Order: sequence, then structure tokens, then C-alpha cells
Amino acid sequence: MVEALRGHWESWVQQRLPASRVTTLTQRKIFIVPSKTAVGLLVLIALLFLLGINFQNSLVYIICFWLLSLLLLTIFYTWRNLAGLTITALGVEPCFAGEKAVLEMELTRPAHQPKYALELAWEGEDQVQVNLVTAQTLRVKLSHSTTGRGYFKPPRLRVATHFPTGLAVAWSYVTVDVRGVVYPAPIEKAFQPSGNAQRENVEDGREIAGGSNDFGGIRDYQQGDGSKRIHWAKYAQTGKLYTKTFVDYASHALWLEWDELPMPGIEVRLSHLCRKVLEFHQEQREYGLRIPGILIEPGKGEAHKARCLQALALFGVQDA
Amino acid sequence: MHKQITYTGMIWLLAAQLVVMLPFVFDLPVWLIPVLLFAAGWRLRVLSGAALQPGNVTKALLIVLGIGGLVLSGLKFPSLDAMATLLLLGFAFKSLEVAQRRDALVVIFIGYFLVALHFLYAQSITAALYGMVSMIVLTGALIGVQQSVAEFSAGQQVRFNLRLSVFMLLQCLPLMLVIFVFAPRLPPLWSLPMPTGQAKMGVSDRMAPGDIEKLSQSDALAFRVTFKGRKPAQHELYWRGMVFNHFDGREWRQFERDIDPQQVQSALLTNYRWQPDALRVQGEPIAYEAVYEKTGQPWLFTLTPAVEVEGDVLRGADYRVMARQDLQAPFLLKAVSYPYSQRDLELAPELRQLALHLPETGDARTRDLAQRLWRETGTEQAYLDRVLARFRDQRFEYTLKPPTLSASDTIDAFLFESQRGFCAHYAGSFVFLMRAAGIPARVVVGYQGGEWNAAGDYLAIHQYDAHAWAEVWLAGQGWVRVDPTTMVAPSRTEQGLEAAMQAEGSFLADSMFSVRKIVWLNGIRQQLDTVQYGWRRWVLGYDGAEQAALLKSLLGTFSVQGVALLMGGLLAAIGLLWLVLLGMTPRREREALEHQLYRRFCAALAKRGVLREPGDAPGVFAAQAAEALPAVAGVIREFTQVYEGICYVPSADGRQATRRLKALLGKLR
Repeated sequence: MVEALRGHWESWVQQRLPASRVTTLTQRKIFIVPSKTAVGLLVLIALLFLLGINFQNSLVYIICFWLLSLLLLTIFYTWRNLAGLTITALGVEPCFAGEKAVLEMELTRPAHQPKYALELAWEGEDQVQVNLVTAQTLRVKLSHSTTGRGYFKPPRLRVATHFPTGLAVAWSYVTVDVRGVVYPAPIEKAFQPSGNAQRENVEDGREIAGGSNDFGGIRDYQQGDGSKRIHWAKYAQTGKLYTKTFVDYASHALWLEWDELPMPGIEVRLSHLCRKVLEFHQEQREYGLRIPGILIEPGKGEAHKARCLQALALFGVQDA
Repeated sequence: MHKQITYTGMIWLLAAQLVVMLPFVFDLPVWLIPVLLFAAGWRLRVLSGAALQPGNVTKALLIVLGIGGLVLSGLKFPSLDAMATLLLLGFAFKSLEVAQRRDALVVIFIGYFLVALHFLYAQSITAALYGMVSMIVLTGALIGVQQSVAEFSAGQQVRFNLRLSVFMLLQCLPLMLVIFVFAPRLPPLWSLPMPTGQAKMGVSDRMAPGDIEKLSQSDALAFRVTFKGRKPAQHELYWRGMVFNHFDGREWRQFERDIDPQQVQSALLTNYRWQPDALRVQGEPIAYEAVYEKTGQPWLFTLTPAVEVEGDVLRGADYRVMARQDLQAPFLLKAVSYPYSQRDLELAPELRQLALHLPETGDARTRDLAQRLWRETGTEQAYLDRVLARFRDQRFEYTLKPPTLSASDTIDAFLFESQRGFCAHYAGSFVFLMRAAGIPARVVVGYQGGEWNAAGDYLAIHQYDAHAWAEVWLAGQGWVRVDPTTMVAPSRTEQGLEAAMQAEGSFLADSMFSVRKIVWLNGIRQQLDTVQYGWRRWVLGYDGAEQAALLKSLLGTFSVQGVALLMGGLLAAIGLLWLVLLGMTPRREREALEHQLYRRFCAALAKRGVLREPGDAPGVFAAQAAEALPAVAGVIREFTQVYEGICYVPSADGRQATRRLKALLGKLR
């Protein structure tokens, strides 16, 4: 029952307040009700009315009715304090899962209509109070915690005001039509792949002796060299045993390979790759990323890093 | 959100508390103010970090001290004064622990309540204006505690809040008036203890030598009367209040036992009830409306006999009119009197008995005198004339400073020794002489005369108009009013007390600087009094009866639909007025011309496929647009340049620049 009602309400709100990049709070979008303080004031008004009746005192009646009028007028004032406000979503900065996603917005008020004590809040999350008095436009950042990687769609934002007397609260919901990317949370310590263990930590492109791929040269035969490596042609010419040597060239670019990761679990692998991206970026190395369905050619720099991280963030996310 | 109160908010709160508590000093213990100042001072020190928040022990100690003070100040429990003092004490101490917005709201709401509560003690225009100031400061504080982010400097903030508070309260006035006029007026639901802070005023329910003289020194207003039609002559204006039948040798009282107004009321409802049949209505009617000041007593004053009265009153067999409640607020009475009517041609035995009662002993010389005169005259009328002639012809003097009489045989002392007295002496001794001869007689107290206010066309009756006279019952005539004072001081009833006291110079002798004595100021005083009368009559005296009368005059006939229609119309009008005042009605675009042009410029470019991101600065956008649309790159650049020129260099010739913008926009389309 409650669930059904809530669902009904949600769909109604969504229909009435559709998501948009730019939202202007017009008459239809603003809700207004007397606040808890107003309930207190109503009790006071009732007491004063009784006092007026029992003492037959006109001036007590006047105070009583004056406060009642103030309560009603406040509704107009509070409503106006919100009406005409324009909220423009500028964007959400990317962040790592578990960190706070920060939505940047621009608040604009109509000319000659200062706005006071505007409250922007995410339920249970960040909230902020701002004035739009001297400035007509103001940038506001609001943060929201994230749980998993993927897209961060800012939830419905509550824009409210109690100004001026706190006797009424006017509010509206703003669903901003922007989304941010949440990168996987980087794992604490990156795993050193065992397949790369024999590679030495060398400068890009230097020979690694004892390799097996490319022909490096010949040297005198030593005891124990495999018969496959004996340079038979040379032996034919000189009668002396020579052994062919091979080198591996350390790859010019580092590759972050999905398939090379020994651990199971998509999220763990993504976290791992994320850490590596950050490491390589910090070390200013050139790196490429190869995960199922996506191949990012080696490169470096901020943009490259962002591209890689985004690819990791959106791995397997349907809504692209 | 942010529940703490700012420093400015706290100052607002303390100021509001002080403003609210100040007027109570006149009615309640003065020590409340130092208590508040102490609490406020502590709070400010806490705020500035110089002191610690009071602990629970300190708070408990302060509360014990406060309650102790309350007990020692001698207030009666339960009474309104005690409750008000307790509330004020709590109000003062509350400021010690205000930290959150909730606490502040409690303080402000109690403040509103106290503003209203003070109107039980004072209802003058001045008190009302002061109440208005309190409302403004309290509402300013209400606004102040809502602000948790300071936008202005402290001084600007105070001015801003004050202005907003004044504007809002002023805008509330029309609605408040409509509710005031139309809200139903109910009778009291239960009786509450009345404020005892002020002493009861006016004529008291017993008359001892000296009482009325004291009243004569007061120029406070008793009531005001507007006549419809004929205005009676000055000597006809005998405002009947109470009837004193019982004499104990010193004091005149209403009944044999000392009974309080409640008992008088029940007597008037039972065996002492008004008997309309006893009255033979004759002569011209006098119709009038009287507005009585609050006195804390139920006595009303009318011309005798008041045949028709409107209002919540009781009437007695002695033609008195009495309110059902003590007058805690101005009271309006509408009445029609027929002064030439004959009253009680047949005197009921119990009334006769009351009107003949005398103490068993005392005042022997007066009794002898009555016997002697009665023997000499033989008829009631002749006896009465002889007694009056005695007052006129012997050396009696009318004075506001009569000598103190002995504790017993006061009538003897007055008639044969001092022979100097005020109306109470003459009326009292006259009635004694009548009764001693077997003629039913009684003392009537009330007011005589009044001061015409030409500006307001009404009669103002002041405390110094208080008077006592006599009534005798004569066969064939019924009750006849006799004022023995006129025998001694004829000008008293013709021109008022001031004229009667001219020779003695004792009129309002105690109030040396009475405005009354300065001629040109007296005119202003009368004008002010007219305003006061309007206030009393239309604001303070607006009750259920007045409401019904007003609705009748507005709507012709009283009907629920009519009232609903009128209310609905007025409320709609006020709602509309608010919308207009707050600028919330749809109206023309107020955006500056250059901004409108720039928006059109962006729209034109959007049509060509170049969208401006909301965050883009005009310069950045121009560069993008120029790159995308090389054909009109020049126009785009120039438009942006001119637009930025208007926005950032205000001294530029705006009109020419906007003309240029329009021209460029034309090229784009």
C-alpha cells in the first residue's frame, strides 16, 4: 500500500518535474506548506483567541489575528523567495567509487529579485545554504557519496527555503540531466603479474639478455648450452662451437592486459587495472589498455588517463 | 540544516525580550528587569566567549531565587498577575540557555503572547502603539534567527530585518482588519482571574465621608456619552449608579450586610429584580450610547429610568443598571431613558422597609430635629421643603476640604457643628432626616453633569463629576429625586464642579499642572479626547453586538450567504493585493535589452547548429561559433564584442550600442 503510494508519488513527481539540464522554478514546480514552526504559532494563536474571548479584549484579538495574517502572508513571501530561480547543472567531476561525486551548478535569479537563505540538499547527503543578493549568478558545488563504478546520476535535489520567517517552507525537486563517471576504486597495492617477472625493470627498448625471440649475436660455446643454440653454420666454417645468443626487447609501450591478470572477479580486476593506470600515469610512462571489447592504444597524459579510467568505469555498463 | 543562531540573531532576540518586558514594570514587580538584564548579559558573554554556559546547578539556583522573589513580592496565587510574573520570569531565564533555533522560537512566541497579555493591563492608544513596536521587533527577531548565513554587515542586517518586518506587518493589516471585523465574537467560556495590578477605579460600593471628595481630585475619564436626538440640559444629567439604603452611623452601603458585586447580581436576579410594571413611562425619551472606561467594577451609570437597554446587563428594582462582569475593557451600552416617568407609585413593602431603616441609636440631635420639624410641618412635602430650606438658609458651605468628623454621630457633627461638606454629607444627612420623620428615602451615587466635547459631539464624564444625591418616596408621585447640594451650591449642577469650586480654588488642586487650566491647550486636549473616544468606541468596544449591527448595516439583512460572499470577496481582494505587492503577477519581461538581444543572438546561432553551453562565456562561445560558421564569423565576433562592451563597460553609450546589436542580429538572420 505504502509502496504503491510512493511509486505513484515518484512517477507523479517525475512527470511534473522532468529531468533537465536547466530548470527554472516556476509556479507549477514549487510546493509550499506551513512548517513545524507554523504549527507552534497556530497553537499560540488559538491560545490568544481564548484569551481574547475570556477577557473580551479587542487588542488581544488584534494580536491574534495579526499573527494569523502574518502566517498567511509568509506563505506568499516564502514562495516568492524560491520562484524564478534557475538551476543549471554544469557537470559532475569524475571520481573514484566510494569518494564523493561533486555536482557543480549555477544558480541564477531574476533581476531585482534577491533570494535569501536558499537550501540545496540531497537527503542524507551534502547540503548548503546560499544567498543570491548581490550576485545574480552563483556557482554551487554539492557532493554526494558514491558506491560503485559506472555512471553517477545525481539523485533528485531538494531546493528549499524557509525565508523570511520560517513559518512556511517552499521547496521543489530538481533532477539535473547530467551524469558523472565513477571510476573503479583503485586497489590498495597493485599485483605484480608473474608472467612479467623475468622482465627487468629497464629503460624502454633496452635489450634483455637471455631472451629467446630475437637473434642477438654469437659467443663461444660454454658447457651446458643447448644443442639447439649451437651455430652450426659457423661451426662448419670454423670448426669451433659457437652459441647463438638471443635478446628480448622490452616493449616500447606497457600493456595493461585483462587476460594477463591471474585473479578472478571483474571488479577486482578493474580495481587492479585502475591502480596500474594511476601508477603508470604518475610514473609518466606510456601505457595501453586491453580489456574485452576495448583496446586503447598506448599513450600518456591526463586525457589518456581519463580515457583509460573511463573505459574501466564503464566496462560492462549497459547504458552507454 | 544550520540550527545555530548567529550573533546578530541573538542580539535581536535580547532586544525583543527587553522591549516586551519593559511595559510590565508598571504593573508587575520591577525586579524582573534586572533579572532579564543579568540573563542577557551572561548570554552575551557566553557568545563572545568570555563566560561559560550556565550549568544545571546555576540554573536551578536561579530558578529557586526567581520563585522565591515571586513569593516575596506578595502576589496572590492563583491570579493573573502571578501567572504573568511567572511567565516573564521564565521568559527572562530562557535567554540563558538559548543556543538553538528552537529555543529562540520559544522565546519569540512567548514574546508574542506577552505583548497580548499586556493588553489586559493597558488598552490606551499609547499602549497599542507600543505593542505595535514590540510586534515589529519580535518579527524582526523571528526573521533574524532564520538567517544562518550573513549576507550583510551587522548594521545592514539589522536595518534589513527591521524593514522587512515593518513591511510584512503593514501588509498584514488589511487581512487582520477583515478578520477582526468578521471573526465571531463568543461570550467568555470560563471566568479567569482578573489583573489586580490596577486599583479599582471610580465610585465605590459604599460611601463614607471623604470618598467622593477624593474622586473629585481625579480628572480621569469615567465614561463618554453620545446622544441621539435631544441633548438634555446640564441639570438633567444625573447618572444613576448605585443606591445606598443602609446606614450604620458612619457609612452608607447598598445592603445591610457588606455584600460583594456577585451577591448584588444574584439579588438583582431574584427578589430585587427590575419590575417594569412599577414604571409609568411619560415624557420625551432620551436615547444615548455610553462607553464606560474599564474600572474593574460592574457598575454602570444611566439616566433614570433607563427603559430600554441593549447589552449584557442586569437591572434592579431600584432602577440601577449593572454589568454582568467587572469592566475589564471599555463597555458599550445603548439605552433610552424617560426622565419624566413616574416610578413606584405603589411602593413594595420590602423596599419601603429598606428605605426607612436607620440605626437603633446615635445621632440623637438630628433625630430630635426631625421630630420637631415634622411636628411643625405635618405633610411630607412641607417637611421636605423645610429641610431643604434649612440647608439653604443656615451657614452651610460646599467644600472639597471638609473637616474630619468624629467616628460616631457623624450626622450630628455635620449638621450642627462643622456645617461644611461635600455632596455625600448633604445627601447622607438629608436621607437621615427624611427617614427619621418616617419618609422613605435613599442615597443615590453616580455622576452629575459632564463636559461637552464640541469636536466629537459627545459628553465626557470624569471622575470629578462623581456625585451623591437623594431620592424620596412621596405618595402620588413615587420616587422623586432631590439634590440637597443644590441648596448650598446651585452652580454645581448648572455649570459643574469647576464653577462651584471657583471661589475655593480647590478644583483639581492636587494636579497642579493640569492641562485643563491652560485654555489653548484645552482645545488640543479635547481633540485628543475625541480620538480616544473613537478608539474606545470602535476598537476596544467592538463586540458581538457591534459586529451584528455593522453586518446589518453592510448587508441590509443578516444572512450566512451574504457574510460568506463578503468575506470571500474581501479575502480574494487582499490575496490579489499581496500578489501585486510582491510582484508575483505575470508581467512584462524585465530583462535588460542587451541580454534579450544576446539571447536572440544565441537562438539564431542555434538554428544554424551552434549550441551555446550554459557555462560558456560569450568570448569562448564566439570563438567556437566563428570557427563553425566562417561565413558569418565577422558578425559573430563584432556582436560579441559590442555585447561585452555593454556588459562590462557601463560608461559606453548604451543606446547606440544596442542599435548596433540589432543591426548585426538582422545580418545573422
